[in-house]
Amino acid sequence: MTLQIDQPAGPIGAPPRQPSPGAAPGGAPYAPETDYGTPALAGPPDAAVTIDGRQVQVPAGTSVMRAAKEAGVDIPKLCATDSLKAFGSCRLCLVEVEGGKGTPASCTTPCSDGMVVRTDTEQVSDLRRSVMELYLSDHPTDCAGCARGSCEMQDLAQRTGVAEVRYGLPGSGGEASTATSAPTSSATAVPTLHTHVDGGAARDETNPYFDYDPQACIVCSRCVRACADTQGTFALTVTGRGFDSRIAPGPTDFFGSECVSCGACVQACPTDALTEKSVVSLGMPTRYVDTTCAYCGVGCSFRAEVRDEQTETGTSTTVVRMTPSKSGGANEGHSCVKGRFAYGYAQHADRQMHPMVRDSIDDDWRVVGWEEAISRAAAGFKAIQAEHGRGSIGAISSSRCTNEEVYVVQKMVRTAFGNNNIDTCARVCHSPTGYGLNQTFGTSAGTQDFASVEDTDLVLLIGANPTDAHPVFASRMKRVLRRGAGLIVADPRAIDLVRSPHVQAQHHLPLLPGSNVAFINAMAHTIVTEGLHDEEFLRERCEDVDRYLQFLMAEENSAEQTQRATGIPADQLRAAARAYAAAANASIYYGLGVTEHSQGSTMVMGMANLAMLTGNIGRPGVGVNPLRGQNNVQGSCDMGSFPHELPGYRHIALDAVRDIYESLWGVDLDPEPGLRIPNMFDAALGGSFKGLFVHGEDIAQSDPNLNHVRSALGSMDLVVVQDLFLNETAKFAHVFLPGSSFLEKDGTFTNAERRINRVRPVMPSAVGKDEWQVVCDITTALGYPMRYDNAAQIMDEIAATTPTFAGVSFARLDAEGSMQWPVNEKAPHGTPTMHVGEFVRGRGRLMPTVFVPTTETTNRRYPLILTTGRILSQYNVGAQTRRTPNSTWHPEDTLEIHPADAEPRGIRTGDRVELSSRVGATALHAVVSERMQPGVVYTTFHHPVTGANVVTTENSDWATNCPEYKVTAVQVGVANAGQPAADTSYELQGAGRS
Amino acid sequence: MTDRSALPPEIRMGDDVSRAMAHLPRDEASEQIATHLRKFWEPRMREAIIQRVREGDDRVNPLLTSAVHDYLDGDIDREEVSEPSGG
Repeated sequence: MTLQIDQPAGPIGAPPRQPSPGAAPGGAPYAPETDYGTPALAGPPDAAVTIDGRQVQVPAGTSVMRAAKEAGVDIPKLCATDSLKAFGSCRLCLVEVEGGKGTPASCTTPCSDGMVVRTDTEQVSDLRRSVMELYLSDHPTDCAGCARGSCEMQDLAQRTGVAEVRYGLPGSGGEASTATSAPTSSATAVPTLHTHVDGGAARDETNPYFDYDPQACIVCSRCVRACADTQGTFALTVTGRGFDSRIAPGPTDFFGSECVSCGACVQACPTDALTEKSVVSLGMPTRYVDTTCAYCGVGCSFRAEVRDEQTETGTSTTVVRMTPSKSGGANEGHSCVKGRFAYGYAQHADRQMHPMVRDSIDDDWRVVGWEEAISRAAAGFKAIQAEHGRGSIGAISSSRCTNEEVYVVQKMVRTAFGNNNIDTCARVCHSPTGYGLNQTFGTSAGTQDFASVEDTDLVLLIGANPTDAHPVFASRMKRVLRRGAGLIVADPRAIDLVRSPHVQAQHHLPLLPGSNVAFINAMAHTIVTEGLHDEEFLRERCEDVDRYLQFLMAEENSAEQTQRATGIPADQLRAAARAYAAAANASIYYGLGVTEHSQGSTMVMGMANLAMLTGNIGRPGVGVNPLRGQNNVQGSCDMGSFPHELPGYRHIALDAVRDIYESLWGVDLDPEPGLRIPNMFDAALGGSFKGLFVHGEDIAQSDPNLNHVRSALGSMDLVVVQDLFLNETAKFAHVFLPGSSFLEKDGTFTNAERRINRVRPVMPSAVGKDEWQVVCDITTALGYPMRYDNAAQIMDEIAATTPTFAGVSFARLDAEGSMQWPVNEKAPHGTPTMHVGEFVRGRGRLMPTVFVPTTETTNRRYPLILTTGRILSQYNVGAQTRRTPNSTWHPEDTLEIHPADAEPRGIRTGDRVELSSRVGATALHAVVSERMQPGVVYTTFHHPVTGANVVTTENSDWATNCPEYKVTAVQVGVANAGQPAADTSYELQGAGRS
Repeated sequence: MTDRSALPPEIRMGDDVSRAMAHLPRDEASEQIATHLRKFWEPRMREAIIQRVREGDDRVNPLLTSAVHDYLDGDIDREEVSEPSGG
């Protein structure tokens, strides 16, 4: 076993910031990202080191290997890579250190000031050649990876100067072979010469995205370490001993294993052993473009690596793979199965490429040109307004499209529509975050950056399942937890983080759905009554302190009094509260299990109260951190996609703010708030809302009480949908406008840590127009000329009018990589940590958070509570992931039910069950699981055929109308044979419909 | 269990806001609800609840009734209206 020296893991592969070649228009010729061999260390460059005569300054403790690379000396390596701690096993990276003994491995040798190193002495070179010979003696001579350029062995053979493999190549019977027999690929048929694993493990092709070939494996264990240290799943291991060692994903194949297909092992593998199927079939990329993932709110930076082929009609671009960028501020070189592999939907056969129109939703679609479709949309909206009034139309903008695109949609509504009927998908997920954090802190976003978790001593995780919904951030969190940070999980379910490899929550509090506020009040009550709060912080930095404390200390908020509501034994809650208060740095991370409740906003304020009570604000390692679901839901909110706010969260009633836009846009703006999404549906059924523009959203699948939604859509005279696919909402559309995938967009996304990332076009729009151009064309056709030369101009307008974006531009983002708003004179490079010294609103406001139970209660007819969520391999309504091999893992939504509830009902795993509530019913297959607590059932909403939202109700957060997806009273029973999936019967209501 | 789905939306949503503010002193609660209506409710929705109150619809939360009167009297927290709110 090789000696492993712990090196503090620092920022991975973090060279000084400079514009990446991949940021240039069109990207750059393909070249792999520089691998420095070992992680960078933080700290001043206080060690002067001389390597092969070249001087370099590095932080003391940096590995010699990394220092050499920074000095321009590339030391051969196989087991080292800069995403992983040094391992020192391959023995290729040997060097000589002046004054030292022997030939230590450069990856595990730390630099000290004045060190002099030689990497190219005769002794070192001889040793390196010998080691390489041994590796080559057991490497396939027909290695396709070597021929393709995706295997490092060939390059290393040449660099180390191997002229003869004295031990023979595989199949040579041990006879020496010449250097010309080193791994190559021959066009002529050459019998495959197997390695020592011949007859052993066969090629594993079970994973839909990558293959594992043990023949090519050199057992460097980079993959094992990547799975452990980077991803935190520990799915891989080395089995056997000595020459019989081989990598295995446990006692099964890759597909059947714990592997989550994050791709970290593939990324780390130096040979062809782990290779993307796409590389095997398409070859290596020829070009790459730096861009950002279009899935979740982590906002991983990727290199889109493509092949360009010249065809008769022009250039055809095919994505070969998406590789995570080491310099990505949010992900630092890591990825998940969705961003890494599930991009195929962008070029799926289901993509609609042409505008279409129809007179009635019962008619077939008719393909038309852009001009006709845009004219049809504009004329339709105008006609509706002429008949029903200015407020009779509106728009829903996307949380998956760019900031620039959503900005022009809200501008279209406010100028051309002349109203404020604009809302966004955040309505149904994190609108309570916006409300609650604004009320308490003064700004509508999380307080930290993702890196902050590195400094936390304790994580309080509430209503979130990051290993499924924010997997790359979860990996980061797990690293910190493995290093000893504490973990409290408040969730009705035993999510993976409660207990997973080398991670165990010290406290799992399985609170009952609907009891969040009682829980958080009890936490705060314990802390204050036991004198564990930070009085100084409260008095110096907060307001309404006495009023809040008077509310909080009421006995009704105690752990004992709230036990009945929360289901959490008082002693367990008190123990968790003490742990939170005692931590030097305690952080709160939360998700939709907080916001999608009737008291979602109240709970957000409650968490903010807790953080202020304990002084856990305004520095790394603490804070209140919303794990926002979608790639640009933060940005959509920032861009004024709410009916009551202009960009930057400024109320439409403010004269001074309206003046800014009225001056720029040249129109008077309506000072009254517009309709929220649920209100649009109600107004539609009431007959006063007749036209809707739906941009990149599928409300007929994602919104609650689907029968109500579908009735509303069916009652409208004009529904215009702009999307990649004909989705559930398009069934109600009269005009369909094809959209662009993220691979074709030029713009920005803002992730959950307020990080503004560039999205760059890898290929031109497949539909001939950028989405923002289409919106501009509609706006112009409506009588308000709106034109931009490019997306950068839109961002310039945003920056000119929105204080938090004042310093943002495409040029600055290209130079900086990304920036976290606010970006302004005070923070020209962005703001990783907010509320340092003082809150955005001055003093933090402590808000009394009275527990008001939800009206959604169980009874004899509906005795169970349904809560909903997401899983790793599918994403939201599944429009993207269902069109990729990700469906291999989750081909349908299932109902998780505890044995105590399943048995009396005669339900076993695999049975088809009916799930019914007071508003609807559906059928799906059951999974009996103790992950749920008795009385609570769980499902996902990724498949439209299930229609899980047929059963969710109209209940919502009191402040924002965010739907109460997490609390629905239901009944579950074995379905009748032939029971259809979602109950899609609904009455078309509303004026003029029958 | 009350079938809230049968309630007109303005009554149901107004009831939610009222229950959230019910812990405050009555005058303060009424003002805060009125402010919420001004800040977040589209004019049609306000008009709808005003009409319900005028008709004496007994499904309207009494606190909401008081808030509607405050709203009509202009008795709202104008500073709060202008505060950023997200959501």
